[in-house]
Amino acid sequence: MSLLEVTDLRAGYGETRVLDGVSLAVDAGEVVTLVGRNGVGKTTTLRAIVGAITPWAGTVRYDGEDVTGLSPEATVARGIGFVPEERRVFPGLTVTENLSLATHGGSDAGRGRSVESVLDTFEPLDERRDATGQHLSGGEQQMLAIARALVADADLLLLDEPTEGLAPLVVEAVADLVRNANETDGITVLLVEQNVATALELADHAYVLDQGRVVYEGTAADLEAATDVVDRHLGVSID
Amino acid sequence: MASALVEQLLNGLTIGMVYVLLAAGLSVVFGVMDVINFAHGELFALGAYFGYAVATVDGGGFWAALVVAPLAVAVVGAAIERYTVRPLYGRNPLYHILLTFGLVLVLKDGIELVWGPRPKELSAPAVISGTVEAFGFTYPRYSLFVIGIGAVLAAGTWLALNHTRYGLVIRAGSMDREMVTYLGIDIDRYYTLVFAFGAALAAIAGLVLAPRNGVDPGMGDSVIIPAFVVVVLGGLGSFRGAVVGGLGVGVVQTVMRSYVPVLEGLVVFLLMIGVLLVRPQGLFGDPEFEEAGDLFTASGGVLTDARRRQLGVAVVALLALAPLGSGVLYSPFLLNSLFVTVLTWALFALSLDFVMGYAGLVSLGHVLFYGVGAYVTVLVVMHAVPSVVLALLVGVAICLPLAWVIGQLSIRVAGVYFAMITLGFAELFAQIPNKVTQINALLATPWLPTWLRLPALRGNRGLFGIDPVYGLTGGPGVGAVQVVGGVDLLYYVVLAAVVGSYLLARRLMQAPFGSVLQGIREAEQRAEFVGYDVTAYKRRAFVVSGGLAGLAGGLQALADGGVSTSYLAWIQSGKVIVMTMLGGMGTLYGPMLGAGAFFGVKEFLLPVTEQWQGVLGVLFVLFVIFVPEGLVSIPATVQARFAGGPSGGTPVEEPDPVDREVGD
Ligand SMILES: Nc1ncnc2c1ncn2[C@@H]1O[C@H](COP(=O)(O)OP(=O)(O)OP(=O)(O)O)[C@@H](O)[C@H]1O
Ligand SMILES: [Mg+2]
Repeated sequence: MSLLEVTDLRAGYGETRVLDGVSLAVDAGEVVTLVGRNGVGKTTTLRAIVGAITPWAGTVRYDGEDVTGLSPEATVARGIGFVPEERRVFPGLTVTENLSLATHGGSDAGRGRSVESVLDTFEPLDERRDATGQHLSGGEQQMLAIARALVADADLLLLDEPTEGLAPLVVEAVADLVRNANETDGITVLLVEQNVATALELADHAYVLDQGRVVYEGTAADLEAATDVVDRHLGVSID
Repeated sequence: MASALVEQLLNGLTIGMVYVLLAAGLSVVFGVMDVINFAHGELFALGAYFGYAVATVDGGGFWAALVVAPLAVAVVGAAIERYTVRPLYGRNPLYHILLTFGLVLVLKDGIELVWGPRPKELSAPAVISGTVEAFGFTYPRYSLFVIGIGAVLAAGTWLALNHTRYGLVIRAGSMDREMVTYLGIDIDRYYTLVFAFGAALAAIAGLVLAPRNGVDPGMGDSVIIPAFVVVVLGGLGSFRGAVVGGLGVGVVQTVMRSYVPVLEGLVVFLLMIGVLLVRPQGLFGDPEFEEAGDLFTASGGVLTDARRRQLGVAVVALLALAPLGSGVLYSPFLLNSLFVTVLTWALFALSLDFVMGYAGLVSLGHVLFYGVGAYVTVLVVMHAVPSVVLALLVGVAICLPLAWVIGQLSIRVAGVYFAMITLGFAELFAQIPNKVTQINALLATPWLPTWLRLPALRGNRGLFGIDPVYGLTGGPGVGAVQVVGGVDLLYYVVLAAVVGSYLLARRLMQAPFGSVLQGIREAEQRAEFVGYDVTAYKRRAFVVSGGLAGLAGGLQALADGGVSTSYLAWIQSGKVIVMTMLGGMGTLYGPMLGAGAFFGVKEFLLPVTEQWQGVLGVLFVLFVIFVPEGLVSIPATVQARFAGGPSGGTPVEEPDPVDREVGD
């Protein structure tokens, strides 16, 4: 049984349909990537999984439980961590405040990773613990966003374009971080990327999304080899 | 001299602390929840009344009141948040204006029902009466007490915000509410708390001010506007801004009162306008403004254009024929007074819809044009030509450039700040009738021509006893000509002006101008990108709107036989917003229906209950929660219900065939 199982998901905004029956599965311990061109519905898929929008139809199962349509509070409490596009670190809060916000307060203390233990593994952040979010570099913000989800005790990380807008060296650093979280901490990752090369480098499994449908699924290596798929669904569009 | 200054400073700080307590709640509530809470002033009043009740009961007293009243008001605040504000989260802050406006009516009526309309007195306990002396000055103990309690509460609030987990969540929520939920935090729980806390601070403010200013049902009204000014000045959502703004406004206001009396009442608005023009986000506000949230403009719904046109023609025909029934089915008074009022307000609401529903500009100062139109029309009749038509035209002609200037200054500031800066301008103008002598004294310099001086406006008593005529220079006088059944000819003049204005507005909206405007409303950045001068388009809409509002004011003044300062009161701006939303904004005809519904319901309730305001308030609250698209959306909703159409989350498969073209 997969950790995350999405079946025939349909969703949209207002009356515009964005997802037209998306199915995918992520096994525990895997890194799975979801790639696709601009506006095909990648973010919408993640948002529907975490419960930021209510799916029109279809199911989302996490760890054997049906979590379709639950609020983000509920899905996050079950162990889904959502790191949205553009990082969304709180601009006026310091690094430590950004992180401690994610701890589960007094009520379920003991649950999740502590701020200190996460900071230990994120050295560059540790050095900037008193800087506010708005003064961090893009790479630092991305680290903070991921670290924050880890503090919130995620077992599954939904990462939305974590390398967007970062310099090549920083992209490598973020990729290492994701690999590290996966390999040492056993965090399962569903990675949305436009940067296909990096995504495939990290991923075991890949899904290609086009116009709200999964048009390809296979191992990362297979996708790399399937040049026709890459050209048709991921290349620069000519229309 | 020095002691007078010290006394004034103390006075200023005393009132400033009250502002701080009021503004802190208002500002944090806005920062975290995006709620513009007009009912905050009523919570302030409620604090004073609860306090009065506890202080005067056996075994009570001022100190007991100081503990009990804030807690009780906090409970009221929590209930308000839980049951009325919460269903509206994620919607445009505009809806909160309508909602909290309704709550103001409910709370005010409730207060009058329990405690009656007459003011109460609440004396301060002996400990905080009298004076103390130090460093050669005398200080009233009461002032020290208010300043002390305010300082302690402000410091406590600051500590709570910056050094507790609650505060952390609240600060984060004001930066990015959605992200907070992605961290697994149920932020709604915190909202109730924030609202309750803000209510408690307001209650304390009301109670500590009571020994000095008394307790009366109007006390909420008197502080809500200054409190908003403080919040805007300091920057919405900024606690530091609320403190600095509150103390600053308190001191400046008090000092100005004795040294530059002409500016009394004006200075806070001048200050706010000045700050917003230089720093559109307030002194300590965050420059990035919040997402606006969903604004529901109404669509045509189930009725086709042709059907709607038929209905419109039928309504106009009925109104035109209505005098035939006068004296038989109803009294002529109904048409001469109620119907005329409905019609002029329908025009006023139409004018607001033109900018609010189509350009997304929420003007809280539209009463300015209504009032100026009214005053100018009356003045022309009194001093220049008595002609109804000419006087109205001059009124409109003055409002157009005025709207251009105010639009020029205001449209650069966005969202709520726009609402506030227009409110500021309107409040400035509202002071003019009471300050004619002082203003003329300022204008009485040799190098300014004398005709620039203001004519007598007679302050709150207003200008009445005019003799307008229907001809250009003479002819039959208004009031002397009656058509069938004792209905005044003016009824037809008003009807014609309103129908004509509607047709003009519709024409403009169907023209390319209207299309661009609607394009801007849908996607401002895209319109800008395509090369439209967005600001210029909005400003043009504002000018048209100002002219129509001026016409509405002029007509109403003619019907009333004069004009007074109530024509410029901000509450009228609130009323017209309520009507516009009630009817369904972005349709032109919806707001006009809204005006009819507003006065219709009021007229119906008046003889039924003394608490008609409260009932009206309850209706608004229910309306904004359950019928956000306004009256005009009801047919579509009803049809969907009965057709058993697509339920709940199932989306409509085909794109909606009803064209969303507006303007009909
Ligand atoms: N809040 C929203 N309201 C309306 N439409 C939206 C909203 N968010 C996204 N869309 C639309 O839904 C479609 C899919 O958007 P989505 O963000 O899921 O795409 P994406 O694959 O993540 O694209 P990108 O690579 O640009 O991030 C787009 O056409 C977008 O314009
Ligand atoms: Mg995206």
